[in-house]
Amino acid sequence: MLEPLPQEQRFFSALRSGDWPRPERAWQLDEVELSPAALAELFETQLMSRHLDLHARRLQARGEAFYTIGSAGHEGNAAIARAFRHTDPAFLHYRDAAFLLQRSRSVPGQTPLWDLLLSFAASADDPISGGRHKVLGSKALNVPPQTSTIASHLPKAVGAAYSFGLWRRLGGDGGEWPIDSVAICSFGDASFNHSTAQGALNAAGWAAYQGTPMPLVMVCEDNGIGISTPTPSGWIEASMRSRPGFHYLACDGLDLLDTWRAAREAERIARRRKQPVFLHMRCVRLYGHAGSDAQQAYLSPARIKADEARDPLLVTAGLLQRHGVLDADAIERLYRSIAERVAHVAEQAIRRPKLETAGQVMASIVPAARPGRQRAWQGEVETPPAPMAKLLNQALKRLMESYPHLVMAGEDVGRKGGVYGVTQRLQAQFGPHRVIDTLLDEQSILGLGIGLGQNGLVPILEIQFLAYLHNAEDQLRGEAATLSFFSNGQYTNPMVVRIAGLGYQKGFGGHFHNDNAIAVLRDIPGLLVACPSNGADAVGLLQEAVRLADEEQRVVVVIEPIALYHTRDLHQEGDQQWCFSDPGPEHRLALGQLGQWGDGRELAIVTYGNGVYLSRQAAAKLEEEGVALRIIDLRWLTAIDHEALYRQVAECEQVLVVDECRRSGSPSEELITALLERGMPGDRLHRLTAEESFIPLGRAATVTLPSVQNIVERARWLVTPAEQNERGVASVSKVVAGSDGA
Amino acid sequence: MSQKRNDGQASPARERLLVVCPGRGTYNATEWGTLSRVAGGSDWLAGFDAMRQQAGMPTLSELDGQTPFRQSLHGRGEHASPLIYACAWADLLAIDHERYEVVAVTGNSMGWYIALAAAGALAPDEAFHLIGTMGLMMQETLAGGQVLYPWVDEAWRPDWALRQELLALIGQIHGTQGAELHLSIDLGGMLVFGGNEAGLASLSERLPPREQFPLRLYQHAAFHTPLQAGVREAARRKLSAKPFRAPNVPLVDGRGHIWTPWSTDAEQLWDYTLGEQLVAPYDFTTALKVGVREFAPDRIVIPGPGATLGGASAQALIQLGWRGWQDKASFQADQQQEPSLLCMGIEAQRSRVVRQTAG
Repeated sequence: MLEPLPQEQRFFSALRSGDWPRPERAWQLDEVELSPAALAELFETQLMSRHLDLHARRLQARGEAFYTIGSAGHEGNAAIARAFRHTDPAFLHYRDAAFLLQRSRSVPGQTPLWDLLLSFAASADDPISGGRHKVLGSKALNVPPQTSTIASHLPKAVGAAYSFGLWRRLGGDGGEWPIDSVAICSFGDASFNHSTAQGALNAAGWAAYQGTPMPLVMVCEDNGIGISTPTPSGWIEASMRSRPGFHYLACDGLDLLDTWRAAREAERIARRRKQPVFLHMRCVRLYGHAGSDAQQAYLSPARIKADEARDPLLVTAGLLQRHGVLDADAIERLYRSIAERVAHVAEQAIRRPKLETAGQVMASIVPAARPGRQRAWQGEVETPPAPMAKLLNQALKRLMESYPHLVMAGEDVGRKGGVYGVTQRLQAQFGPHRVIDTLLDEQSILGLGIGLGQNGLVPILEIQFLAYLHNAEDQLRGEAATLSFFSNGQYTNPMVVRIAGLGYQKGFGGHFHNDNAIAVLRDIPGLLVACPSNGADAVGLLQEAVRLADEEQRVVVVIEPIALYHTRDLHQEGDQQWCFSDPGPEHRLALGQLGQWGDGRELAIVTYGNGVYLSRQAAAKLEEEGVALRIIDLRWLTAIDHEALYRQVAECEQVLVVDECRRSGSPSEELITALLERGMPGDRLHRLTAEESFIPLGRAATVTLPSVQNIVERARWLVTPAEQNERGVASVSKVVAGSDGA
Repeated sequence: MSQKRNDGQASPARERLLVVCPGRGTYNATEWGTLSRVAGGSDWLAGFDAMRQQAGMPTLSELDGQTPFRQSLHGRGEHASPLIYACAWADLLAIDHERYEVVAVTGNSMGWYIALAAAGALAPDEAFHLIGTMGLMMQETLAGGQVLYPWVDEAWRPDWALRQELLALIGQIHGTQGAELHLSIDLGGMLVFGGNEAGLASLSERLPPREQFPLRLYQHAAFHTPLQAGVREAARRKLSAKPFRAPNVPLVDGRGHIWTPWSTDAEQLWDYTLGEQLVAPYDFTTALKVGVREFAPDRIVIPGPGATLGGASAQALIQLGWRGWQDKASFQADQQQEPSLLCMGIEAQRSRVVRQTAG
C-alpha cells in the first residue's frame, strides 16, 4: 500500500477526530442547487488533483517527473469548471488541475489522470504538449495550454471573448468555439499585479464600458501570497470592486458550495449579458510555491499551520458528512482509492516514450497546413503606378473582400485610416467590427489578435511604430509563437502583424518613430518576418503573409518602412520611379524568395527595406563610374534562403551587406556568417550597418544610418583593385568591425 | 460479490483486474453446457431458473442441458441474454479476491447490463430481470440488424484510412432509398453497423468481401442506434430506476464515462442505461481505453461464455499500445509468456483467476 506523505497527516487526523473545518457560510445543497452526487463528484476531482500533486513529488524524487508546481489549496476551482460548458474556452492558471479534471467529466471517454501523469513525466505521448512541458490543456476540453506564470495569457482571453460576437456579426459558425461561448481565464493574486494582467483587465473593461459584448470570466485565485511576498490584505477586492465595465463577484474557494454559487452567477452574467465578470476566489496555497520551495524560510510555523487548517479538502470532507453524502469510512475509502489509482497509473505513464531528438522536439513549432478559405476575387486591379501606402491599401481592401473571416485591428486603423493612411476607407467599407479601432495598448492589440486567430479568424494587426512593439513583444514571443509548440500543433493563432517601422523619415521622428531594432523578432522559432522595399513587393509579401496565416497557420510580421510609404521618386523629383503598378491578387512572394536588380559581377549589395532604395540610388552613381553591380533584396528577414543567396552572389567579386539596423543583432550578422559557412572568403564580405545608437531628432536623424553616400564610398573602395588600398590584407573580423568610414 | 473491493486496505500482493463483460453472440454451440459446468447446483442459478419458470420460459439449466443447442432457439434474445449473463456471473463469482482486486468493470453492448451487476449497481436478480426483459423486447421488435466488418489488417494493425472510409459509408448510405444506417459498436478492430434491411443490404454490397465479412449477426437488432427508440420508450416504462444504486467498484460505460461508488446518481445511471445507451453508438474501444489508462490494471479479465470478445479487446489494446503490443504477433507472444488478457471461457486462462477450490 502507498505510504502517505507527511503532507497528508492533517487529513488522516481529521478523519480520526471528525474535526473538519467549517466554511464561513452554511449553504444548504438545495439552496445552491447542487445535488449530493455532484458534491461527491467535485470531491473526487479535488482528491485527484491533490493526489497528482502529492505523487508528482514522489516521482520527482525518483527522477521521473520534472515540475512540481501544484494546485494544492486551489482545488475549489473544480466547482468553477462545473459551472461552465466544456465548449467554453478556458485559459488556465497553472494551479488549476482540478478545473481540468472536473471539465474532463463532462466529455465521456477522457483519461485525465493518464494524460496529466504523461505530462508530469514529459512523455511524448502526452496528448496536449507531446512531452514539451507540464501544461494544463486539452483539445477535446477546449483548454488551450498555457505555460505562463505572469498572466500573459489574459490578453488572448479578452481576444477570444471578443471573437464570439465577431463571429455572430459575420453570420458564421466557422470558429473553434460556439458563438454563445464564454471565455474563462484564471490567474493568481500575485500575477494580478502584472502589467499584462492589468492591461487585459483594462481592455476588457474598456470594451464593456462602451457596450461591446465581452462574455468573459476572469478568475483571480487569491491565495494571499506570491512566492514569498504577501498580497496586501484586501488589495484585490479594493482594486476590482469598482472597476468600470466589470461585475465583481467574490467567493470562498475553500467552500465548494459558495464557489459553485458564485461561479454560476458569473456564468449567467457573462453568457446572458455578455459582460465581463471578475470572480475573486479566495483560497490558500499549500505545500509552498513549488516542490523546491521551502516556505518555512519566509513563513512562520504558525502561519503554515493556519494555512494547513484551511485545506479545502478538509472543508469538503466536512460538507459531505454534514450533508449526509458520505460518511467518514466512505471518505477514507475514496481518498485511498484515488491515491492508489494515481500511483498505479503513474507507474504505467512513466514508462511511455520521451522526446529524444531535436527533430521530435521541434516538430510542432510550425503547425500543419489547412485548407485555405480565400474566395475568388472579382474586382478590377487599379494599375496606375502608386507608392507603397496606396498599393497596400488596395491590397488590404482586396484581402478583406477575398477572406470574409479576415479582420483588422489597431490603434487608429478605422476612422483615421492609420497614421500613414494605409487603412483609409476600409472601416467605412467593411464596418467597425472588421476594422477595429482598439485602445492604445499594444499588449491588448496582440492579445486580441491571438484570441481571434485561435478562434478561426485571420487577424491583421497594426502596430503603429516599431518602438511600440517592444513593451508588448512577449505576446508574440511567449504566447503567439509558442502555442503550436506547446500544444503539439493542435492549437494555432495564425495572424499577420503589420508594423510601421525603421528610420529615414523626413521631418518627423526621433527614436520612437524611427526605431531600427528588429532583433527581437528574428530569434523567435517559427515566427516569420518580411520587409518590403517597394509597393509591388509590399503587396506580394502582404498577400503571401495572409495566405501563410490562413493556410499554414503561421504568425507573420511585416515590417513596413515608414519612409517608403509615400516615396514616389527614386533619382530625382518627379521621376515616379518608386511608384509601382499593383501586381494584382495572385502576386505572392514566397518565403525566402529574393529580389534582384542588375546582374553586375563586381559587387553584390545584399540589403532590404530602405537599404534597397538607398542602394538603388547609389547604384546610379556607381554605374556612371563603370561599376558593374547587382542588388539583392532579401524581402524575408527570417527563414532566409541562404543557399539561394549564395548562388546569387557567389560569382560577384565583392559582397556588401547594407543593413539599416544596428551592427549588433541585425540581419547582417546572419548573412555574413551564412556566406562564410558556404565557403565565401572573408575578404570578399563586408558590412555597412547602422551605428550602435538610438535615432536622434532633426537633421541628425539619419547620421547614424547607412546613406547613399556611405554606400557609394564603400562600394568604390571595394571595387578598387586590392593592391591600391588596404583591403587585400583585411580579415573578416577587421572588415566586420568597421562600418561607415572604416 | 464486489463489496470487499474498495476497502482501501488492499494487500500489495493483490493484482489489479479490469473486468470486461461480454455481450451478445458469445453463447454458441460450443458454449452449450458451460453454465452447468461452471454453476450447476448453485443456489443463485436455481433462483434464476425459478424466475424463468415463473415467467413461463424454459429455464437456463434446461437450455444449457436438456435442450440441444439450436441457434434459432438459443440465439433468441430472451434466451441468449440470460444465458450469457448467467455464465458471466458464474465466472465473476469464481474470481479469487484474495489474489485479485477488481479495480474497474466495463462491458460490451449487452455486457453493460452484466457490468452493472458485476459492479454491484444492480442486485443479481434485478440484473437478471433487466437482462431478460431487454432480451425479450429486442427479440420481439427485432428492429433492424447488425453487420460486422474489420478495419484492421490480418496482423490486427489499425488501418486508419480504411476506418475513415468505412465510417464515411454511413453518411453516404443513410437516408438514401429508405436506407437507415448507423454506427452501432466501435469494437476494437471492427465496426458494427446497425441499420434497417435496406441500409444493411446497401452496406453489404459496398463492402469488399473479406473472409467471413461482411458478417450479418443473426438475431441481432440494430442495437445502439435510433432504431431502438421504441424499445427505449417501452423499457423506460417497464423498468424503474428503483433497483439502481451506486456501484461498489467504478464502472466504465459505453461512452467511456466513469460511474464511481461515491458520486453516482442512481437515477442518472438508470437514465443512461435505458436511454442514450440504447440509441447511441456503443464505444467499446473507448470504454476499454478508459479502463486501462485510468485504472492501470495488471490484467484484464473477460468472463465467459466463450472468448470471442478477447480478439476485439486485444485489437483495442494494440491500438493503445498497451503492454507494448503492436500487432497480433506481439500480443500472442506476450500471452504465451504471461497472459495479461484472460478469457475465462478458455479453461487454462480461467484457472489463473479462480479460487483454487472453485470448480
